[in-house]
Amino acid sequence: MSDAIRFEDISKQLGEREVLRNANFVTKQGDVFGYLGPNGAGKTTTIRILLGLLQPTSGKATILGEDVSRDEARRKIGFVLESDGLYDNKTAEENLWYYAQIYGMTEPAERIDRILSRVELRDRAKDKVGTYSKGMRQRLALARAMTHNPELLVLDEPTAGVDPSGQIEVREVILNMAHKEGRTIFLSSHNLDEVQRICNRIALIDRGEIKLCGEVEQLRREMSGNVVEIETTQLMAEPLFAELKSLSHLGLRERKDKTLTFVLQEGTRIPDIVSLLVRRGVEIEGVSKKEASLEEIYSAILKEVEPS
Amino acid sequence: MKGMLVVLQNDVGDILPSRGFLIVVIIIGVITLGTAVGVPIALNSWLASGLAWEEAKPLLELFMGLAINYVPLIVLFSCMATWATDPIAKEKAKGPIESLLATPLTAKAVWIGKSLAIFLPAYIIGFIATLIVILAMNLASILPTTGHFVLPLPEAFTSFLFLPLLMFALILLGVIFSLITNPVIGQTIIIFVGVLLLQVVGQVGGRLWWLLASWDYALYNLAGAAFIGMIAFYLSRSLSKERIILSSKGKWA
Repeated sequence: MSDAIRFEDISKQLGEREVLRNANFVTKQGDVFGYLGPNGAGKTTTIRILLGLLQPTSGKATILGEDVSRDEARRKIGFVLESDGLYDNKTAEENLWYYAQIYGMTEPAERIDRILSRVELRDRAKDKVGTYSKGMRQRLALARAMTHNPELLVLDEPTAGVDPSGQIEVREVILNMAHKEGRTIFLSSHNLDEVQRICNRIALIDRGEIKLCGEVEQLRREMSGNVVEIETTQLMAEPLFAELKSLSHLGLRERKDKTLTFVLQEGTRIPDIVSLLVRRGVEIEGVSKKEASLEEIYSAILKEVEPS
Repeated sequence: MKGMLVVLQNDVGDILPSRGFLIVVIIIGVITLGTAVGVPIALNSWLASGLAWEEAKPLLELFMGLAINYVPLIVLFSCMATWATDPIAKEKAKGPIESLLATPLTAKAVWIGKSLAIFLPAYIIGFIATLIVILAMNLASILPTTGHFVLPLPEAFTSFLFLPLLMFALILLGVIFSLITNPVIGQTIIIFVGVLLLQVVGQVGGRLWWLLASWDYALYNLAGAAFIGMIAFYLSRSLSKERIILSSKGKWA
């Protein structure tokens, strides 16, 4: 698959501050790419460069093969920015109509109607946006992003400030766009759970530097280490637990209800542990290799870069 | 060009139903009505003294020059002061300007589109108000008394073309400042230059009143428009999306 976004050695200096430092990442067409990082890490600056709002001090950024500074690149992108940018004094329909005209759509009425239905705002199409809830506004902003049927969607914190039910609604719309419509999505978010559910690839940025980039599943496997969880049918007796724990080559770390957690040691394999447990009369319900959650990866990476 | 027209259409659509527009229209309506009724009454009593047409014509042209110079000036200035920068300040503070710039629209299309959106409704109101005053003066007093219709060309050009051009150049300058700096600066420039113009015209009208009916005065306006327009276009070289975005994050937002 060809590249959707290519960010090559991008740096951005704003005044005295280097907001981005040699940032590199690539997203492929069809990717749902999560862009994570704490406040002030450089996420919004990255998005502004992608949308041609800021010029990189050095490096090259392309979108679907076009340089981001070209108007042609922006025709291929739909976006939702941190601030939804909707006009409060206009109706939902008028807001979409305005953007449809900007993108040169000649007969947008039918498309606008269909998109409003898709985000479940058709009933409120004639209402002023100033009367909308935050969740409705975000759905409308997503609808606006899709008006001209772009190949790529750039979403900056689309669920920020939205109540839980609103977040679910917004997330559903994004999932539909990603999985049913197959659009490439660049999603900047603080919400790790959301990113884990929606995205197949992520990049983690901190203090202007990309710290990690790759497929979510692969990163989870790589970052999970050698942690194995064995679930038993019965709660393990304390003496047996103490005995097994004393065998250092086993790497038994903890017991939580009926689950034993092992950290695999050099030369020890999972079947070795299982057969030892069976020999000691332990009935095994299941064995699983524990994968690190996105939250654990995020914390681990940010901890690594914390100044001493 | 197309993008500029879309911005123009959208912004005019925002201005027309606004309360600010209604207030300006009411104020201008009162001024126009006062001028359209008051000036013919004054003219009638003066023409009743029985001047010959040859004597009356230059004086009437001067009189009309005085009247129709002020009307478009006041109208355009009122409109500009009301609409010129407040919507831009709101768009910068609340975010629509950032979304607008993230589209294929160029920064120049946004600048000219917004400037035209401020100017055109003001120009149309000014044009109608000036036309009403000219027609009222002619139909209610000049035509019945002298049998002639008076529309001095220098004043007509000044009122309908050169003065509006000067105001448009001023709007271009104010909007560019509003976009790339704090909108209050843009507003201050427009108000400062506008008040200066009103003062100059007031002084000229009071002491050098015969100048208002001359081609010289018309050309001064044209030269002023060209000068301010050139400054605005020179500054437009520094107009970029980045400048607009970064200025939106200022303390005023």
